[in-house]
Amino acid sequence: MGNKLIKWLDERLAITTLWRVLMAEYYLPKNINWLWSSGVLTILVFVILVVSGIFVLMYYKPDAKLAFDSVNKTIMMDVSFGWVFRHVHAVGASIMFLVLFIHMGRGIYYGSYKAPREILWVTGFILFVLMSATAFTGYLLPWGQMSYWAAQTITTLFSKIPVIGPDLVIWIRGNYIVEDATLTRFFALHVTLLPALIVVFTVIHLYALRIVGSNNEDGIPMTKEEKKEKGIPFWPVFISKEFFVMSVFLFFFFYLVFFNYKFAMDPINFEPANYLQTPPHIYPEWYFLSFYEVLRGFFFSETLGLIGFVLSMVIPLFLPWLDTSPYPFISAKHRPLFRIAFWVFVADFVALTILGKLPPTGLFAWLGFIASLVYFGFFLALPIISKIEKKQAASGGVR
Amino acid sequence: MKELKILLVIVVIVGITYWGIEPLAHSIMHKHIEEAIEKYNLPDYKFSDLGPAPAISGDAAQGKKNFQMFCASCHGLKADGIPAPMDPKTAAASFGVVPPDLSNVASFTAENFLYHFIKDPARASEFKKISMPAMGLDDKQIMDIIAYLKSTAKKIHGAELFKEACGRCHGAKYQKIYADTPADALKKYLGKVPPDLSIIMKAKGEHYLVAFINKPQALLPGTSMPRVGLNEEATEDLMKYLDEISDPHKEQRKKVGLIVLAYMLVMIGLTYAWKKKIWRNIH
Repeated sequence: MGNKLIKWLDERLAITTLWRVLMAEYYLPKNINWLWSSGVLTILVFVILVVSGIFVLMYYKPDAKLAFDSVNKTIMMDVSFGWVFRHVHAVGASIMFLVLFIHMGRGIYYGSYKAPREILWVTGFILFVLMSATAFTGYLLPWGQMSYWAAQTITTLFSKIPVIGPDLVIWIRGNYIVEDATLTRFFALHVTLLPALIVVFTVIHLYALRIVGSNNEDGIPMTKEEKKEKGIPFWPVFISKEFFVMSVFLFFFFYLVFFNYKFAMDPINFEPANYLQTPPHIYPEWYFLSFYEVLRGFFFSETLGLIGFVLSMVIPLFLPWLDTSPYPFISAKHRPLFRIAFWVFVADFVALTILGKLPPTGLFAWLGFIASLVYFGFFLALPIISKIEKKQAASGGVR
Repeated sequence: MKELKILLVIVVIVGITYWGIEPLAHSIMHKHIEEAIEKYNLPDYKFSDLGPAPAISGDAAQGKKNFQMFCASCHGLKADGIPAPMDPKTAAASFGVVPPDLSNVASFTAENFLYHFIKDPARASEFKKISMPAMGLDDKQIMDIIAYLKSTAKKIHGAELFKEACGRCHGAKYQKIYADTPADALKKYLGKVPPDLSIIMKAKGEHYLVAFINKPQALLPGTSMPRVGLNEEATEDLMKYLDEISDPHKEQRKKVGLIVLAYMLVMIGLTYAWKKKIWRNIH
C-alpha cells in the first residue's frame, strides 16, 4: 500500500528523484562542525514563529484601541495557553536573530560568501533584511510604549531623506504621527508580504546551496564527486547530528520561553502606547542595537549618523566583492590577517550592541563613535588583506 | 572536543552581550532610581522625615465627635453608619477626586503618617495640590480621631485593599475595577489620567513599586502621585495582589516549563543515541 502510493506519486511528481537530489544524495564535506547546523536552526525558528504567529493572530486585534488589551489581556490571560504562544513568538523573534548572527558569523569566518557562493551570501543577506523588517513591523503590534516610540523614532529617520523625506514619512505612517493607520499597515506587512518574501528567498537560498554545496572548515573547494566520495550524505548522516543540535537548541529556547523571557519582552512595553509621554530611554530590541549605535553616534551628526546607519546595514552585502583573495585564503583558519580582523569585528559588534543600549552621553558617545569607525574599518580592510594574500598566493609561499 | 570549544566561544560572546544589554544597561539607565532609594533608605515605613506622632493616647468616643465635626462634611465612614455626604460624581466635580471613605484607613496607613497627614496634608503627601486642606486641629483632637479610626478599621486584603488604598484614582480594568473618580475630573486635578494598574507589576517590578508608593517624589520628582503612607503589611499585601493579577499563570508556567524541559532532555538523549548509531562507521 505504502509502496504503491509512493510509486503513484513518483510517476506524477518524481518524488524519489527529488528526495535523492535534496536529501539522500546531497553530500556535505566531513570537515564541518555544528555551526553548519545553524542554517537548519533558522528554518526551525521560522517555523516556530509561523506556528505561534498563527495562534496569536487568531486573537490579536490590529486596532490602536484594542491591540494592547488583546495581547496583554485576551492572549496573555484569557485564552488557555495563549501566554505560551505569545512567549514563544516574542522569544522566537529574538532568538531568530541570535541564530542568524551565528549563521552569518560562521559564513564570514569560514569565507562561505566567497566565489562561487556569492548568490548564497546575497540571498542570505536579503533574508536578514527581510527578517529585520518583519521584526520591526511586528514589534509595533503589541502597541506598548516601546513599540510605539521605536516605530516613531525609526520612521522619523526617513524624514532626513532629501526632497521627498517629509512626505515619505507621512506616506509610511499614513498619518502625521504613528497611530492606527500605521499599526494596521505594519500588521498587514508583518503577516502577509514579509513572511511570504522570506519563504521565497529561503527557497532560492536553498536552491543555490544545492548547486554550489556547503563550504567547509578549511575552505577547500570540492566538486560534487569529491564530496560524494569523501563526504557525508545530508540524509541520514548529517540530519542525525542536526536533530541532536536542534534538541539542545530547543532545550535552551524553551528555558528562555518559560523562565527567562524578560530580555525579549521589555517591561516598559507593558505600558500602553502614549504619544504624549516619551519614555526616558528609547532603544530598539537588542538585535538592532549595533546599527542603532552607528545611527546616533556617527560623527555626532544626525545626517552622517543616518548615512552611516544605512551603510552599516548595506555594506555586508558587498563582502564577496570586498574580499576577493583566492584559495587557500578562504577560511579564517588559514588566513592569519583576516582572522585578527574577524575577531576585532566580533568584539566591535558586541561593543556596539552594548553601547546601543546605554545613554549616548560622555564617554559612551565617544566609545560608540570609535566602535562605529572600527565596524566600517573591518570592511575597508578586506580589500587590503586580499591584496596581501594575493601576493602571497602568487609567490607560492603558502602554508 | 572541538565542537565544545566552539560552543564555549559562542556562550562567552552571547554571555558578554547579554550582560551588557541587560544588567549593565539597566544599572546605568536606572541609576537615579537606585540612588534615590539609597538616599532615602526606601521603603521607609517609619516615614522618618515626618517624625513620630505625639505620645498622646487618643479617646475614640471623643474622636467620633471630632470626626463628625471636622471630617464628615467630606468623608464617610460606612463601618460606623456615616454615609458619604455627596455622591462620587458631585464629590469629584467639587474636589477633583472622590474623598475616601475612612472606615478602614487606619488598618493600612502608618499611624504617624496619619497624624501628620491630618495635621498638614500637603506636607505629608508631598503633593502641593492636594484637595484636603490643613484643618488646624490640635494634637489631642487628631489623636482622638486616629483612635476612633483605629476602632472601626478592619484588616482588608487583595482587591478590597486595592480599591480602598488606590481605587479612587487608579483602576485595574482587567479585574473590572475602575477608578471611583471619573477620568476627566482626575485629569483636571492631577494633570493626567493615572495609569491603569492591571499589569503595572510587569511594567515596573516590585522593587520600584514599593519604593515609589513609599515616597513618589523621590523616584519621580514632580509626579502627581501623593504619598499615601501605606504601612509595611499593606504594601506587601498589595504587591502580592498586583503580582497575582498581572501574571495569573505563574504557577502554570513553572509547571508546564518543567515538563517541556524534561521532554527536551529526553529528546537530547534520543537524538544523541541516534547520531552515535549513524556516525559509528564514519570517520
